[in-house]
Amino acid sequence: MRVGKIPGQVVRLAIVLIASLVVLLLVRARFVPESFGETGHYRADVVPAIAAQPIRYAGMQACAECHDDVAEVKASSYHRGLTCEGCHGAAADHVEDPVEATPAVPSGRESCLRCHEYLGARPTGFPQIIETIHNPMEPCAGCHDPHEPTPPAVPGECSACHRAIASTKSVSHHWSLDCETCHLTPQKHRENPRAHLPEKPVAREFCGRCHDRAAESAATVPRVDMADHGGRYPCWQCHYPHDPEGHS
Amino acid sequence: MNPLYEHLESALQRVSGFIYPNEVELHWGLLVVIYPYITGLVAGAFILASLEKVFRVKEVEPTYRLAMLTALAFLIVAPLPLLAHLGHPERSFEIFLTPHFKSAMAMFGFVYAWYLMVVLLLEIWFEYRADLIAWRKQSRGLKKLLYWILSLGSKNTSPEAIAFDRKAVYAITLIGIPSAFLLHGYVGFIFGSIKANPWWSSVLMPIVFLFSAIVSGIALVLLLYYITSMVRRKTPDMPCLNKLATFLLIALIVDLSLETLDFIHRLYESEESIEILRRLIFSKLFLSLTIVQLLLGTIGPILMLAFARFSRLPDEMKRLVYFVAAALVQVGIFSTRWNVVIGGQLFSKSLRGLTYYKLELGGVEGLLFGVALLVLPFVILYVLVKVLPPWEDTRPSEST
Ligand code: HEC
Ligand code: HEC
Ligand code: HEC
Ligand code: HEC
Ligand code: HEC
Ligand code: HEC
Ligand code: HEC
Ligand code: HEC
Repeated sequence: MRVGKIPGQVVRLAIVLIASLVVLLLVRARFVPESFGETGHYRADVVPAIAAQPIRYAGMQACAECHDDVAEVKASSYHRGLTCEGCHGAAADHVEDPVEATPAVPSGRESCLRCHEYLGARPTGFPQIIETIHNPMEPCAGCHDPHEPTPPAVPGECSACHRAIASTKSVSHHWSLDCETCHLTPQKHRENPRAHLPEKPVAREFCGRCHDRAAESAATVPRVDMADHGGRYPCWQCHYPHDPEGHS
Repeated sequence: MNPLYEHLESALQRVSGFIYPNEVELHWGLLVVIYPYITGLVAGAFILASLEKVFRVKEVEPTYRLAMLTALAFLIVAPLPLLAHLGHPERSFEIFLTPHFKSAMAMFGFVYAWYLMVVLLLEIWFEYRADLIAWRKQSRGLKKLLYWILSLGSKNTSPEAIAFDRKAVYAITLIGIPSAFLLHGYVGFIFGSIKANPWWSSVLMPIVFLFSAIVSGIALVLLLYYITSMVRRKTPDMPCLNKLATFLLIALIVDLSLETLDFIHRLYESEESIEILRRLIFSKLFLSLTIVQLLLGTIGPILMLAFARFSRLPDEMKRLVYFVAAALVQVGIFSTRWNVVIGGQLFSKSLRGLTYYKLELGGVEGLLFGVALLVLPFVILYVLVKVLPPWEDTRPSEST
């Protein structure tokens, strides 16, 4: 088998190669979806298919059209960032037909605990409670309007919103120090925390008030040479102020 | 208690420092260790075989065909760990149908197919063609049919045709060397290009991978050549073994230098990750990196090979030393892959904590399956050797 000047081996290989290419093309024609690649490296038909799925959430604006009273109250409350359906569940069908389909009304305690039960991983400043000691048994809505949850009394303890820090500190060497020894805190911080932030120590000298060799603090407080201990760095570069460790 | 929590609880006792929740459990396990190990063997064995053809290193000729078959046997197994790890192997062909040119991982199929079809199979076919024709003539029945299919019905054994075969083999080898570099350099690239991971992200990665591949390939062929000679009750060809040992030694030294360069470079740069990497090396990876990879798998074999190669030991002793050194090298390269793949996932992206890896016994990601995958290439090689005997002394055709 020899075609012109091409040796037989090559002709045979070429036949195998062409046969495999044909198979590949056939398989391609059979398996690659028609709309593949029209808009990107995916099947373009999938977009209308997804768009055709039934809509289950209506969005907050839709609710506000009829429940403007609730929407208005909520808009200036602590819960202004939450959507209605985050608590009431998907309610597009209710918007379609308000009387036939009514959304869930989550009046149990669990629905709030989803966000407010203490969890060390939540961001600092987020109001958290320990369910078993925060007015157990009573429904939350009895004291907090879910749409305007301002507590009946302003939280007194810093731990209401900074529990992770508070519990860390309570078992640290700084257990005896009050938060406000180091953070001068305006009363308003408890009501509108972000708008009225407390102070934080800014300079090394602050810690020196108790830890400098010449400081007038209890004799049990360990002392360092402020001039050269830790170089020029702020002390909290190396010691976490809420759980300081002095021995490596 | 919920078994999920129980699992998490026991896992959390093993992590130290700060770990993000999705880092506790490793995503790439033993299978992803085996994958670069096997492709490395393929590339290494092939590069060794190419030396003979391209640079005409006559001494290693007895291993040429064995090396090619070894490369083929391991190449067939190379994608299996990935298929098993990803699941849904039946969908894997889709990456050929809709090639995605911007994804390095998706391009692997093409690198692999190119290497298998255009390089290895073609080269083996041209190399064996005359022999296939001769074997077909000698055998009967099904075997005859098999050789007929394998030779694609080719009959021409004229001197011109055989001369053409030789030229073809030479040409393919020339394409093959960069392709082998591509195949394994690519695997290194996958790791080296993950910029979020300081243990992996390094431009040297493809080159380090390549040289460790060459090391492991040469060592494997040396081992196989030695073992097959013993099984066939032949004395291994000493100049050939000596040459292999020299190559292995050189490759080991280059490999060690590259790794050291990488290491010094990291130390000198001292990026913020250096602290956690130091902890990693001295705790979780101490055994597999310092002891196994560095001492047992690299420095040990270098000393042994250097000593045996240039000393006046009797040949039997030399062979034994080579054998032990090559076996140690295999263990060392395996732990190299382990240290890259597993090591790279043992520390947190926060650079503040370490997690752990516990190898299961059963299951797809387990030890038994991994061992099976490592044994499989040898089974395939056995079959290949039966069908296509690579030995010089049993060649039927006069094409040598
Ligand atoms: C078209 C006007 C309309 C819209 C839009 C609308 N609602 Fe209503 N909603 C009603 C009416 C009317 C009722 C009283 C139905 C009843 O008492 O049977 C109601 C009742 C409710 C109730 C109380 C159900 C109960 O069992 O007491 C909830 C909760 C509620 N809506 C939530 C929502 C949410 C959330 C949305 C936005 C997704 C929404 N609604 C949008 C008209 C509307
Ligand atoms: C934090 C969760 C939460 C959010 C957010 C929320 N609700 Fe409610 N909603 C509740 C709970 C809990 C009740 C039941 C109160 C009770 O038991 O007295 C309720 C009751 C209602 C009722 C029943 C009538 C009433 O006033 O008691 C309506 C209507 C309603 N919500 C509408 C809305 C709309 C509209 C929004 C969005 C603007 C919204 N809710 C957002 C938790 C929520
Ligand atoms: C989807 C999460 C979510 C759910 C469910 C939720 N809350 Fe809230 N809650 C928040 C957020 C967010 C804030 C605002 C925190 C901030 O200002 O940083 C908040 C603030 C509050 C505050 C204000 C505390 C303070 O003094 O700053 C109270 C009280 C409160 N929620 C009670 C409730 C009650 C009662 C429920 C159940 C009806 C509930 N929350 C359900 C997310 C949630
Ligand atoms: C008996 C009334 C009462 C009930 C019931 C109640 N709370 Fe409170 N809650 C308060 C008062 C008073 C405060 C503010 C003073 C304080 O810190 O204790 C408060 C404060 C809070 C705070 C702010 C953080 C803090 O610790 O001060 C959150 C969050 C909160 N409540 C959530 C809830 C949730 C969720 C429920 C239901 C599981 C609930 N509350 C039930 C009275 C109540
Ligand atoms: C009602 C909840 C709440 C209470 C009570 C509260 N904080 Fe805060 N605190 C916050 C929030 C919210 C932030 C802002 C967190 C952020 O920016 O991520 C904050 C921030 C801070 C900061 C950081 C300021 C900065 O510049 O980063 C300090 C310090 C602080 N609080 C101290 C305190 C102390 C001390 C108390 C008790 C006297 C206290 N807080 C009580 C909610 C609270
Ligand atoms: C010994 C002094 C000291 C005490 C006591 C102290 N803090 Fe701080 N705190 C600091 C310093 C210093 C920083 C600033 C750290 C930094 O900038 O990295 C800080 C930062 C913070 C921050 C913002 C950064 C963060 O870690 O989230 C919060 C919130 C905070 N403190 C809350 C508290 C609360 C609540 C208490 C009481 C439970 C408390 N602190 C007690 C010294 C203190
Ligand atoms: C560069 C890191 C660094 C900085 C910055 C630093 N420290 Fe330290 N500190 C250490 C280390 C490490 C130790 C424990 C070893 C030692 O005794 O020196 C320590 C120990 C201490 C101790 C315990 C000493 C004892 O005798 O038990 C105190 C108190 C202390 N530091 C306070 C401070 C104060 C106050 C500052 C700021 C003025 C500061 N440190 C800044 C690193 C630092
Ligand atoms: C109001 C006084 C006071 C201030 C201000 C203060 N500390 Fe302390 N510090 C203490 C006391 C009290 C102890 C605990 C001594 C003991 O363990 O008996 C302590 C202990 C320490 C220790 C030693 C922990 C150990 O391992 O023994 C370190 C480190 C430390 N503080 C760091 C700091 C830093 C950093 C600051 C500044 C952010 C700071 N302190 C501010 C009173 C203070």
